[in-house]
Amino acid sequence: MADRPSGEAADNADGTPARATYQAELEQLRLQVELMGVRVDQNLERMRSVLHHGDVGEAGLAIEADDEIDAMQVSLTERCYDLLAREQPVASDLRLIVSVVRITAELERIGDLALRVAKLAPDQGLLTRSREVFDLLAALADLALEHYRLALRAFAGQSTELAEEVSAGSPEVSLLTDRLVGEVHRLQGEDAVSVAMKAMTAGQALSRIDDHATILGARLRYLFTGDPDHLAAEVR
Amino acid sequence: MSSDPTTVTGTESNVSDEDGESLIRVPEPEVRATTVTDESTDEQHAVFDLQNLSVYYGPFRAVRNVDMVVRRHEITAFIGPSGCGKTTVLRCLNRMNDLVPSARVEGKILHHGVDLYDPAVDAVEVRRRIGMVFQKPNPFPKSIYDNIAFGPRIGGAPKSDMDDIVEKSLRQAALWDEVKDRLDASAMGLSGGQQQRLCIARAVAVEPEVVLMDEPCSALDPIATSRIEDLMQEIKDQYTIVIVTHNMQQAARVSDRTAFFITEVSEAAQGQGGDQRTGLLVEYDTTETIFSNPADERTENYITGRFG
Repeated sequence: MADRPSGEAADNADGTPARATYQAELEQLRLQVELMGVRVDQNLERMRSVLHHGDVGEAGLAIEADDEIDAMQVSLTERCYDLLAREQPVASDLRLIVSVVRITAELERIGDLALRVAKLAPDQGLLTRSREVFDLLAALADLALEHYRLALRAFAGQSTELAEEVSAGSPEVSLLTDRLVGEVHRLQGEDAVSVAMKAMTAGQALSRIDDHATILGARLRYLFTGDPDHLAAEVR
Repeated sequence: MSSDPTTVTGTESNVSDEDGESLIRVPEPEVRATTVTDESTDEQHAVFDLQNLSVYYGPFRAVRNVDMVVRRHEITAFIGPSGCGKTTVLRCLNRMNDLVPSARVEGKILHHGVDLYDPAVDAVEVRRRIGMVFQKPNPFPKSIYDNIAFGPRIGGAPKSDMDDIVEKSLRQAALWDEVKDRLDASAMGLSGGQQQRLCIARAVAVEPEVVLMDEPCSALDPIATSRIEDLMQEIKDQYTIVIVTHNMQQAARVSDRTAFFITEVSEAAQGQGGDQRTGLLVEYDTTETIFSNPADERTENYITGRFG
């Protein structure tokens, strides 16, 4: 005789799942975070383009898009507060909502860092003055963007495996950052100080973007598994 | 073995209270491992050890195969949808189900290692040691004083001690300051929240070891509910509390451990036009675990409101 636990059945008389509106709101929240992540991704791509071409117009687009990213963060945070107050979520729902607050803050920060690089557009000529320095910055931008996209894929696919990979960080970024510092020290000539300052501004921003992607990985591991150890990893 | 004064001691396997007074004489109980996950041993702290407990009302099996340990000086919450057997299990803990003629219990409920349903156990004494507070406040149509004094009088407490017992009980229930000047007034004139605290005072007046609460706040407003919840925290150092609640936030707020029950529906019975529903314990763990990261998907679905 097969027994059916009632917990596996839809509960409402019309066959719809219980708290359907609330569940739909949570799903919307997930999608909105994904959308915000895509907007940040677009700005990261603009940042990389500005780094290579110094297009001031593209930098302007990035600045405008960042305002939208900021507005999304405020809106999603308010929505999370509303859900917390109204629905008293627990377990995976609670983890999702508190994680969205954290994730959107990280996304907003990554957006700001992308903008910091994009705003160097008028000085892009300085960044290309040294071939070695520019190659390192370009490589850092590629790695940071790749790392960020992995975090975005982990969120979209709810993948613990990908989140684990993201949270492991990128040792290569640390190596490149160290090499960048070395190259900056070797700069010579009239513009050396200006080049060094712009290069370090860009380099540090790219390195921090990578760090924030790592934090996203730890947060996603917590979100998917509920293991509080990943919260500790997040603040390391 | 444990130095806990309420554990089974001596060759006659008596249950002793903290003064060493023998209460129930029963055969040697068996001790076995339990399913609760915790660092400390259950033997030391178990007040109740439910072993493969099933409860029937006539041919109808209301709850099946419950295994759990209720621990001393903890608040244990039973949650789950209507009809899942929470109250049935709760009522087994002080043999209230004995009062239902068709009720029958299979498996064991060990109270400090002693089988509560052993014929040698005195059910009246069990109910004295294991008090109960019901869903709807049920004060007697007597004075506030007499409501509290009722149990101790029956228990033979000296008249000279009665004033102290009444005051102590009302203080424990956080009601003394509100009623000390009108102890002779009818209990029926108290508010719902005050009546429920009076019932708690009445339950603790006979100095039980355990207080069972069956949805004690379901008829109360949020302020009165909050006072009862505060009260539970204040008295848990002295009593072991088991509470049935439909309010999951309440379970999360007040309890140390939570047991989640569901109803399983027999498809065979459904096919015959019947509707055989049986309660089942799905998960029992610390309240923190149940409400943050439950092991069973059915628990997650219930506490997040996806069914229920």
